[in-house]
Amino acid sequence: MSLPRKVDPISTTLLQKIKESLDRLNEKMEVMIEIQKHERHAGPEGIPDVLDVMTLLSLPDHLRKTAVTLCKLDHATAEQVAEQTKRARAVESGYLNQLVLMGYVKKERRGRKAYFYVERDENPDEMKEPWEKS
Amino acid sequence: MGKIIAIHSYKGGTGKTLLSVNLSTLYANRGKNVALLDLDFRAPSLQAILKVQNSEYWINDYLNGVCDIKKALINLSETHAKRGRLFVGLANPSTEAIREMTAKDRKWEMKALGRLLSLKTSLLSEAGLDYVFLDTSPGLQYSSINAIVSADVVLVVSGTDISDIKGTQRMIDELYELFEKKTGLVMNKVLVDVLDSKTQRAELTKKLLNSSKLPMIEMIPCFCDILRTGGVSIFVNDKPEHPFVKTLDKMATTIEDL
Repeated sequence: MSLPRKVDPISTTLLQKIKESLDRLNEKMEVMIEIQKHERHAGPEGIPDVLDVMTLLSLPDHLRKTAVTLCKLDHATAEQVAEQTKRARAVESGYLNQLVLMGYVKKERRGRKAYFYVERDENPDEMKEPWEKS
Repeated sequence: MGKIIAIHSYKGGTGKTLLSVNLSTLYANRGKNVALLDLDFRAPSLQAILKVQNSEYWINDYLNGVCDIKKALINLSETHAKRGRLFVGLANPSTEAIREMTAKDRKWEMKALGRLLSLKTSLLSEAGLDYVFLDTSPGLQYSSINAIVSADVVLVVSGTDISDIKGTQRMIDELYELFEKKTGLVMNKVLVDVLDSKTQRAELTKKLLNSSKLPMIEMIPCFCDILRTGGVSIFVNDKPEHPFVKTLDKMATTIEDL
């Protein structure tokens, strides 16, 4: 009868690190595929695809979650998106920057903070009327 | 904070509008403040059902950026609700408006999504409404997917025929789950003898749910009385003792807890 093999704690850590690296690599490849698709779909003037619901449906799951959250928040920092998605700020920052690269999201700096938003060429607040309290 | 509820289906004629109108009225009668918005721009029907005059502004105008959402709402509280407030936003039923809405480009649809998403702030936070019902077009169309993305809860109404069941299953896998939506299923127009048989009822539920873990909110029997009224009666107000209203009452309580 053979005794169960003891797993070396260093090997476990190493395996975990390899798994995490592979996950990250996989995500990056998905994004590269999306960027390639996006480049093929872009018009002759290089006008990017818009972030409509059909685009949202075609995004990989992890980017869709970030993009839908940003659509809901309108303008947001990576931290604000992370609060909603319950993922790490650094992770959301990476995904948001990928969406910027893909041309779906814009980024602007206000002081030390970076804000991300979906460009819709309008300000909905312009025609807002206050609600009566009754 | 209130809830935005989209009522959707794979096929047309499943009873989405009937359920939207009666559920909205039922909640208003319970003392809730409710708005019902017609997002079925291809076949607007709320104006005819609720028997309201032409609106100065339509939901089309709100999505076109012509007016504030407040201007596109008609207050029906005095005529249609017993306790709470009930508002309706109509889709423009003119042929020209239908044609215009079907020819919108993707950029417009993206802006429309932004406007629908902002209803959470304008209607729930600022106006203090408890429920906003979005009555959608059937199938995978821009307006209905926009509504689904904007909603907190999606109620999917299916009939009992196999094409409807299969289509609904595809939408569960390829739409509601992708957007991580809180979704509840409703099966409408179920034959009474099927509902009376425990085995047949379970089989039909299994057929629709397939491998999905979504909750079956209600199985509504097929009522000839509903067909007889030709869509002109709001059962919740006109026939409060009708078994259809009793079923809706149970359903409304389940939705509140979703």
